[in-house]
Amino acid sequence: MSPTGSTTGRTTTPGRVNDEVDARTRSLVSRLQMERGTLRMLVLTVAAFLLFTILNPTVFLDPLNIVNMAVAAPEIGLLAIAVMVAMLTGGIDLSVVAIANATGITIASLSSHFPHAGGATTGLIVAVGFLVGLLGGVVNGLLISRVGITPILATLGTMQLFNGLAIVYTGGKTLYGVPGQLTTFGEATLAGVPLLFIVFVLAAAAVAVVLNRTPLGLKLFLQGSNVKAAQYSGIRLTRTLMATYALSGALSALSGVVIVARNPTASADYGSSYVLLVIVIAILGGTNPSGGFGTVTGVVLATLTLQIVQTGFNIERLSNYEYAIAQGVILILTLVVDQVSRRRRLNRRAKPRSTSTTTPEVAQ
Amino acid sequence: MTTRKPLARLKGGNNEGVVVLVLVVLVVAMTVANPEFLSFSNLFSIVRSSLVPTVLALGVLMVIISGGIDVSFTAIAIFAAYSTVTWVGQRGAGTLLLLVLACAVGAALGLVNGLVISKLRLPTLIVTLGTSTMFKGVLIAYIGAQYIADLPDAMARFGNANVLSIPSAGEVANLHVFVIPVAVLCVLVWWVLSHTMWGRSLYAYGGDPEAARRAGFPVVRAQIILYTAVGVLAAIGGLMHVTLSRNANPQDLVGTELDIIAAVVLGGASIFGGRGSVLGTVLGVFLIQIIQNSLILVGIPSVWQRAAVGAILILGVGVQALSAKRSSRKVFAYAGEEVVAA
Repeated sequence: MSPTGSTTGRTTTPGRVNDEVDARTRSLVSRLQMERGTLRMLVLTVAAFLLFTILNPTVFLDPLNIVNMAVAAPEIGLLAIAVMVAMLTGGIDLSVVAIANATGITIASLSSHFPHAGGATTGLIVAVGFLVGLLGGVVNGLLISRVGITPILATLGTMQLFNGLAIVYTGGKTLYGVPGQLTTFGEATLAGVPLLFIVFVLAAAAVAVVLNRTPLGLKLFLQGSNVKAAQYSGIRLTRTLMATYALSGALSALSGVVIVARNPTASADYGSSYVLLVIVIAILGGTNPSGGFGTVTGVVLATLTLQIVQTGFNIERLSNYEYAIAQGVILILTLVVDQVSRRRRLNRRAKPRSTSTTTPEVAQ
Repeated sequence: MTTRKPLARLKGGNNEGVVVLVLVVLVVAMTVANPEFLSFSNLFSIVRSSLVPTVLALGVLMVIISGGIDVSFTAIAIFAAYSTVTWVGQRGAGTLLLLVLACAVGAALGLVNGLVISKLRLPTLIVTLGTSTMFKGVLIAYIGAQYIADLPDAMARFGNANVLSIPSAGEVANLHVFVIPVAVLCVLVWWVLSHTMWGRSLYAYGGDPEAARRAGFPVVRAQIILYTAVGVLAAIGGLMHVTLSRNANPQDLVGTELDIIAAVVLGGASIFGGRGSVLGTVLGVFLIQIIQNSLILVGIPSVWQRAAVGAILILGVGVQALSAKRSSRKVFAYAGEEVVAA
């Protein structure tokens, strides 16, 4: 999970030395920032863990508590990575939770039609549920890349649409029951580690490989840092956007599978507070909402940190609303610290070099 | 402006004409499906349900014109209204005092947004996401989590105050008195946006922040004033919501922010900033309220509400995007290549 996406696949275009130098400077700058972000996140994660360990070691370090955290984190983490992928191209995906619920509802609804499903049928049901989620991502991709709607508006619309259709289908009720094997899978552990957590780590690793070691990943980062440059270097913007939102949809669908594996119910309004939470996690993990920067490692660490804070707050008998305050404070503080340190860095460099202005301004 | 073709003028600067057309088609279709739609009582109830969204949408409109997105206004609205109701209780404060208190709370919370956004130049969506969770958290953890059915007299009095009552078909159709302050606010925001230097600076900043800065607009101050003003508008909207629903519930409003943003965007405001109008926004709010209120009148079950709003939003912004694409193709046609699509 190397944090940079620009070391592989670079081709030297003859006669474009200037661009090459510029690209190198940029990738260097971005690599430095990424590693700083990830390192900071690691420090935060460890600090949060230590804090709550010191406050209440017996309860917090209880193996059951650790396992509970590891089971609760994956669904949120997958959604946050989905949002991060969309942010890399300078977009956003507000429909992730709606897509996850669509997958969950499909699985729960199919399993009520086949109550005594065997292994193969279960696999098929999960696959269909996953495809429904993927389809949601493809719809987003079509609206954004072909029709040309701004990502935030397109996914705001599809969020309402998918969620609305889920309400129509379920009549607003909660569906109970998923295939038994799925629940067994959700409860199973491998060497003490919950399988769901392993799924999360594997999926995160897969996304990291796609982002850092494939042409698609490189295009994605390029498009996020500079659309015009990406366009003139021959990247097909529509295809990259399509792939971005399909990937985001696939991750949301996987999160939907994890949700029903953990808790065998599905409803249209599950996790309505997740939309904002996963954006907070993506930003906290060092993702630049205007595109171009972001690491899977950072987002995974941010997921773990917020999970630790939430569990820690519960143990300290603080309410969910106090956890909400903490979320907001952590988010704003991170942004402020980032901005202040970046300005200081820019000021220091301003005299000897003027290249520092190539760092994209986070304005809106 | 004066050289515009008649058709383009009818269409309006921000596609208001198109929204009007959609509204008319919708109203005609609904009336054909169920004549009850055009009754005074139904129309007045649509107006009543549009009051609070309109006030909130005015704030959102100003933020969107300046190129930002605010998702914390619902949290500010309920925070200001609920905390005012809690503090005043049954102490017999007058209407004016209530209003001033709520607006002060709203302004203070808006000021927090404004300071963080303008001084540190942070992305507006992210900052307001953070402050919105904080405001809601502080409200419920420290101010109160209970539903209050006993409103101060000064508010309870307005719950059923009507400016116009028309007896129709055995019942009385009532137009709530709040249409007057809401109309005043609409005119005020329109005037500020179009006739004051501050209003123009919002358009300038939304159109191009750097250009606005270089043209000499005091952009930091303009943004601080903007978010404070949005806080005040939100507080007024929150008070109206509490008054109209005749109870103060701290769990209300938060969660509806995306619906309001959708209404403003449907009303022709550009999410990239620099474009938007009060007229379009009011039309957008009506469009969404008509869909939410009246689907049931034409025999569509209410579970379809959310899906219908989503579909309308995608349709609305999709048509805008496609027409923008077509006009940008015209602009770039000389380059001999398609710039937008592959």
